[in-house]
Amino acid sequence: MESVLSRIRGWLLLKDNSDLGFLALLFGVMIALPLGNALFPDGSALHVSSFALGVWGKYLCYAILAISLNMLWGYTGLLCLGQCLFFALGGYAFGMYLMLMIGELGSYGSKLPDFMVFLGYEKLPAHWKPFYSPTFAILAAAWVPGLVALIFGILAFRSRIKGVYFAILTQALTYAAALLFFRNDFTFGGNNGFTDFRFILGADIRIDSTSRWLFIASCLLLFAVYWLVARILETKFGKIQQAIRDSENRVRFSGYSTTHFKVFIFVVSAMIAGLAGALYVPQAGIINPSEMWPAKGLDIVVWVAVGGRGTKLGPVIGAILVNLLKSWATRAYPESWLIILGMVFVLVVLFMPNGIVGLWAQIKARWSKGRLSKPETTVAST
Amino acid sequence: MLSKTLGAYILRILLSSLLTLGTSLGDEKEARRLLVEIVLREGAERAAALEALGDEGDPVIASMVEAWRGGQILRYRTDNATIILFKDGEAFSTLLTGEAVVPATGPKIDRPSRKLRKTLKRIVDLIDLSSPDFDKRIEAALKLGLSQNPQYLPDLKARAKRQEDSNTQRAFDEAVAISELANGSIENRLAAIRTLGSMKSFRARDYIERCISTDGDTKPTDEMVTAAKRAFAEIDSHQKMVDFIGTLFRGLSLGSVLLLVSYGLAITFGQMGVINMAHGEFIAIGGYTTYIVQNKFASAFGEGSSVYGYYFITAIPLAFMVSAIVGAIMEKGLIQFLYKRPLESLLATWGISMVLQQVFRLYFGAANVSVSSPQWLAGSLQVGDVSMSYSRVALIVCVAFVVIGTYLLLSKTSWGLHVRATMQNRQMASSLGVPSGRVNMITFAFGSGLAGLAGAFLSQIGNVGPSMGQTYIVDSFMVVVVGGVGNLLGATLSSLGIGMVDQGLQPILGPVMGKISVLFMIILFLQIKPGGLFPARSRSLDD
Amino acid sequence: MKKYFKTGLAAIAVAAVFASTAFSAEKVKVGVLHSLSGTMAISETSLRDVLLFTFDEINAAGGVMGKMIEPVVVDGASDWPLFAEKAEQLLVKDKVAATFGCWTSVSRKSVLPVYEKHNGLLFYPVQYEGEEMSPNIFYTAEAVGQQAIPAVDFLLNEGMKKFYLIGTDYVYPQTTNLVLFEYLLSKGVSVEDIGGGLRKDNAGKVISAGNYTPFGHSDFQQIVADIKKFSASGDACVINTINGDANVPFFKEFAASGITSEDCPVVSFSLSEDEFRSLPAKDLVGHLGCWTYFMSIDTLANKKFITNFNSWLAKTKVPGIIKKDRVTCSPMVLSYNGVYLWKAAVEKAKSFEPEKVMKALESGISFDGPGGKVTTQKNHHLTKTVYIGETLETGQFAIVETMKDVFGEPFLKGTFKK
Repeated sequence: MESVLSRIRGWLLLKDNSDLGFLALLFGVMIALPLGNALFPDGSALHVSSFALGVWGKYLCYAILAISLNMLWGYTGLLCLGQCLFFALGGYAFGMYLMLMIGELGSYGSKLPDFMVFLGYEKLPAHWKPFYSPTFAILAAAWVPGLVALIFGILAFRSRIKGVYFAILTQALTYAAALLFFRNDFTFGGNNGFTDFRFILGADIRIDSTSRWLFIASCLLLFAVYWLVARILETKFGKIQQAIRDSENRVRFSGYSTTHFKVFIFVVSAMIAGLAGALYVPQAGIINPSEMWPAKGLDIVVWVAVGGRGTKLGPVIGAILVNLLKSWATRAYPESWLIILGMVFVLVVLFMPNGIVGLWAQIKARWSKGRLSKPETTVAST
Repeated sequence: MLSKTLGAYILRILLSSLLTLGTSLGDEKEARRLLVEIVLREGAERAAALEALGDEGDPVIASMVEAWRGGQILRYRTDNATIILFKDGEAFSTLLTGEAVVPATGPKIDRPSRKLRKTLKRIVDLIDLSSPDFDKRIEAALKLGLSQNPQYLPDLKARAKRQEDSNTQRAFDEAVAISELANGSIENRLAAIRTLGSMKSFRARDYIERCISTDGDTKPTDEMVTAAKRAFAEIDSHQKMVDFIGTLFRGLSLGSVLLLVSYGLAITFGQMGVINMAHGEFIAIGGYTTYIVQNKFASAFGEGSSVYGYYFITAIPLAFMVSAIVGAIMEKGLIQFLYKRPLESLLATWGISMVLQQVFRLYFGAANVSVSSPQWLAGSLQVGDVSMSYSRVALIVCVAFVVIGTYLLLSKTSWGLHVRATMQNRQMASSLGVPSGRVNMITFAFGSGLAGLAGAFLSQIGNVGPSMGQTYIVDSFMVVVVGGVGNLLGATLSSLGIGMVDQGLQPILGPVMGKISVLFMIILFLQIKPGGLFPARSRSLDD
Repeated sequence: MKKYFKTGLAAIAVAAVFASTAFSAEKVKVGVLHSLSGTMAISETSLRDVLLFTFDEINAAGGVMGKMIEPVVVDGASDWPLFAEKAEQLLVKDKVAATFGCWTSVSRKSVLPVYEKHNGLLFYPVQYEGEEMSPNIFYTAEAVGQQAIPAVDFLLNEGMKKFYLIGTDYVYPQTTNLVLFEYLLSKGVSVEDIGGGLRKDNAGKVISAGNYTPFGHSDFQQIVADIKKFSASGDACVINTINGDANVPFFKEFAASGITSEDCPVVSFSLSEDEFRSLPAKDLVGHLGCWTYFMSIDTLANKKFITNFNSWLAKTKVPGIIKKDRVTCSPMVLSYNGVYLWKAAVEKAKSFEPEKVMKALESGISFDGPGGKVTTQKNHHLTKTVYIGETLETGQFAIVETMKDVFGEPFLKGTFKK
């Protein structure tokens, strides 16, 4: 048993058992849920509806997005309030492909997307043309946010903008972008954005098997991203990353160019967020500029904080739990769910400074304080 | 009936002769009688009464016509007659005599039709031509001139000769010229074009264009066309100047709004380091306080009463107080635990903001509430061709007071000293005997109170609703950051600057692109000055 | 033994099926999908209220085909992906027979694929830009031809010569203004007399007409100054498609600038009685509105509707419903009509099945609502009466023009030629 574990650890180049546990769980979910959807008929206790698959697929995308923010905020100390921008840009990039795949099924029966016909375009704008290729679209979902992050990162970090300044600036960036995308003549559908997708990679987007594959893809991406973060933390790069968070000047005095590190991490984080967005859009069925609205950026920060900032598992748990709570409360208490959710945030900040993941350690600390006489036989803390 | 009209006619002649003698006592009576006539009658009789009313000059006409338009004229039937009432607040008086009455049965509101209102408005304008109020006189003259109705031209011309005020003189000349563009002879028209050009009258531009267009009834001469071209050049260059000054004023006013909404934040965020995402909701508290005060005044004194207009004066300090108290509670209950974790104050206050928004929604309803401007804030100040609304002027004045007051508080009082000491180094100040707990609370309350104040003022120019604060929150943070966190002077300059740039760009780029450009300019600006206009100086390594 | 076991099982299964149908025979679930929080809550909560009232009214009268309506209320929270998720939840989890909901076009666009995928039925009640006709949506809403066009006709009749177009930058205002631009040109209004600015593509074709502001815009100084300039020469009016609460700063600025409705009337398409609750009505006196229902309509049906709604409000225990000073408005009545049309269609089709209900709707069903008779059309829109009203200081409209039986046509763009 031990040897199997260590062998897997060796393959994955990970040292931590809890990482293996999570990845194994994720793997299990990736297999089990789609099987439950495909094998068991509607009405069976084991049946997983494609609605549930779609919702959980979206949650997984949120989890990836939260991880990408945690890379910045939790491990590098850069609070980005505009992470939603990268997510949305990725979504738009892949959405463009999906829009083109509608083909002549739109309400005007034209090859152009409906909103273009409506605005009187006679041919596809040049920057849309490459998006007929799904490969290009997926790559664009990564490099477009990456490029934006690169330019913004170089500008911001070169002049040593940090802390609150950085946070507010990223908010300004996403706000400006949202206003830009709201414009009808920006060729991205204005306020209505992209919707009514029909086909993805040749498959009908509305059938169950597509939902299954999208779910599996979301699991795989989460798997990869989680692994990447865990792996980076075990390398020297990860150490420097955390050192920047704790005291950037000391790192700089030690001879490291923190600017380069920060730009690199910012770009990687943006690309991950973009890919999450690309997977999110076909499952949510819509992308519009309100995904870039500053409030959305704050939402992501809340997920990370609730789950546990600076922990590997925290963002995943936070993103899923907060959204589950929101989904349940908007149905059960449509009038007062905002109050419930708001109070939860306040309580988490006040009483769970390390988020849900840190709760266990917190309770344990309380426990051991209460029984000082009795030394605990502690398990290695995670 | 005929005899009645005839009698009225004779009476009117008598009265108008009386008027020239310097008394207008009987005139009002006749005007009231004619108004009742117009309300009650239809068709030809009404037309006759209207015509007669046109010759009357009593100011009561204007106020009653306005009342009719605003639903303050009511009618009800007694056994043998229909009585027309004028309603002022809760009190009623008869339209015919002006005596106060208490109607027995529920009177019904009477309304003039759109067409009738237009006619009445003309009559009021005609009366206003000789109004002692210069603004009204100017407005009336221009309106009659712009109508290009030849019927009014002699009247305008006659009065243009005996204006004692240079502004009204100008308005009458302008009105006459515009009217002559359509009604005068070729020579008159040419002269009018020249006059209007030298007056730089923008409102005449379209009329001149129409006057020299070839599809009209009179063919323009070449001379007229060249004169028009010169006039256009003059008008356009003047208009550019007016636009420029207007933009400056609008920039100043937008800057003041930004300053007002961000000043509280400049204190709580800038001085104390608390990222208060609920700042916008404190603004909303101020707005709702104003709304409640307004309603209390309306129910206590009646909307028509003169006291009602002062609700706003009462609301300003109350809005400050209520927001400050809520702020103090929030500081004691939440913020004080988070001074060491500023970024987490962002999350907790974001949660508070969500809660408050939904509480507003549940308590006041999801819809925005209506706050009306008091009478003395309505209307606009006309300086040359630039108009500035009184509410905006009041806002600018108030902002100036806030800025100066805050400056004095912080620099001249011992509390201010304590605040500054605590903000610079909390532990050091505390160990030197500054009661930092209390200073923190009062400072936060003060910042929140300023937000409430902003809410009270915003209620005059914008929405009061559950999410009114969200509109301003991003802008407020931007102002503080550009100004330099912790620097009130910086916040002042940056808000005015952002306001100016925004308004300056709007005419060129439109509101959306203008706003986007401002945001990008802010981002670029911070590249050059990463600490804002006035960066905070600190000796600590990681500030 | 095995055989008995099997029959026993079958019996249990049958009994279970019967029990469940017997249980559900009492009730039929319908969805209510509106934003109760977020930016759109301002408008949409009133629709939730009126829908709940309508269900109670129908239930009190015996329900739909003997079944009681059981509303499932969900909050779309002004969050468009959440709208899609909630719609799917209603269709898949709650298996609602019909849904009444959405306000913004983007929310409708986001749920449209969901309704098409699960073959659901959605009633959409708010004036919109048209250019859409989903087989699964029934639009009780006003199309452009039932609002903007009649209003402009009215203004032309009043002798207006100059038209200033202003709106919020999204699809509805852009579309409406483009259609109006074509329409005004076809009526002989010259391009210079259409204010707000034009944007043309490289080929010189007009792709956008009017002046546009971002959502929630709060500073209208520049625009009002521009309108003042535009209307200085008289006979000008403003066509306003500003969305929601941005109207408040607009009208406050407009009134403060000293322009009155006699000088330059503003006709608004997104301001109903409900929105007026939050506007200082005295700033708006004399400005115009155009809808297919006004609260001031003087008919028995309307009076009954208002009285019943108010007495329902007084009794209801649903949290968050404001009970005082409530008004009714066109989107509310179109929601109300939607429920009754659905009921009529269900009874005609003798089935709750969306497909059959839609067939019945397409066949032309009439309902005498508070705003007069409405008749369903084959193209999923309604024929109805259009009213033009003038704002009073009470926040009500005085009706100045009534146009009966106006056909609802969603595809108008490009149909007007000079």
